[in-house]
Amino acid sequence: MGDILDVIKTRKSIRRYKADPIPDESLDKILEAARWAPTGENYQPWRLIVITSPETKNKIGNLAKLGSGSRMTAWYCLGEMQRRFEEIEDPLKREEVLRFMYSGEVSEFAKQAPVIIAVIGTLMEGSVDVPYDLSACIENMLLEAHSLGLGACWVHGPVASTRDAAKFKKILKIPTGMGEYKVIAYVALGWPAEARRHPRPKKPLEEIVYWEEFGRKERK
Amino acid sequence: MDKVEHFNNMLVRLEELLYHELSGCAAWKTELVGIDFIQSKKIKGDNEDEVISHCIEEIIAGGLVKKMRYSIGGKGILLNLKIKGCIHLPKEIRLKRDGIKPYLCPIANMILDQLIEKLNYETTYLAKLDIHGASGECRVKCAIYETPDKIGVVSDWTEEER
Repeated sequence: MGDILDVIKTRKSIRRYKADPIPDESLDKILEAARWAPTGENYQPWRLIVITSPETKNKIGNLAKLGSGSRMTAWYCLGEMQRRFEEIEDPLKREEVLRFMYSGEVSEFAKQAPVIIAVIGTLMEGSVDVPYDLSACIENMLLEAHSLGLGACWVHGPVASTRDAAKFKKILKIPTGMGEYKVIAYVALGWPAEARRHPRPKKPLEEIVYWEEFGRKERK
Repeated sequence: MDKVEHFNNMLVRLEELLYHELSGCAAWKTELVGIDFIQSKKIKGDNEDEVISHCIEEIIAGGLVKKMRYSIGGKGILLNLKIKGCIHLPKEIRLKRDGIKPYLCPIANMILDQLIEKLNYETTYLAKLDIHGASGECRVKCAIYETPDKIGVVSDWTEEER
């Protein structure tokens, strides 16, 4: 069995895509990867809506822009966004990055993605681990997409608030009852039009791993 | 224990649980909590001032808060609320004491809901909730977006805190 650590370590969130379509065989493999995610009690709550319609993608892109932008505008006005990005030394570049964030443009890219996949989960009687199962399902898709050379991004923004989640459901004709389906995110997919040159720094293992009990850093 | 105390204690348990499950995102999921009260009133108004003022009248008349003032700033997208003597203040104090930054203000939710329902505002966001237990006052900062082009209209809200 192959070690997939390289696939895991080289995956990045890709938000810019070429217009080239995704072959059906690749899309099917990504959906198949989703199907094999771990799931509590083998409940398999995930339901996946594959979206290629430009009109629908535009609606979702606009909703995502509004969701992220409404929060980030407030965070900027409170000075919180500036603190998050203070490591960018060039003031012009920092302000451009901040504007990209608080305008909501950071989350608008669904419009350009050839395919987006809405990930929802049934909350019908018997379900117990739905958000966790859906998250595992998304990660499987991201890794499979990357292994096929595709770029992908997990996007929570347009469904983060209760009102926005309801709007998202209406766009896709998902039943809107709070006890019916949970909308957790969508995954944008396409051939990468960007290469992330600088990997985001990851915390070292020494910082995140404890041995035998919380807080113990010495390995036996 | 009276009914209000009992109800606040239940809210604390639920808010602790939700924060434990969702961390900071819990705040984004609770924007509808409290709106049933204000939706049961027939709030009227043709503009922000009229709708907000009518909401405040009903909230005070309902015995939910003793005093409440508001102001609008931040190029029109900042709604400042100062709330005194809120029946939910004990839950905020308890949450804060237990190490969870208060994130759910049913009173602010009511006003934001009516801006959306009555004036068709595009979206709103409860941005900051400061609890001053000693004075019995809460100060709430909300972003109110009448139209999509209001997103990204920035200014320094910290200056407006003075």
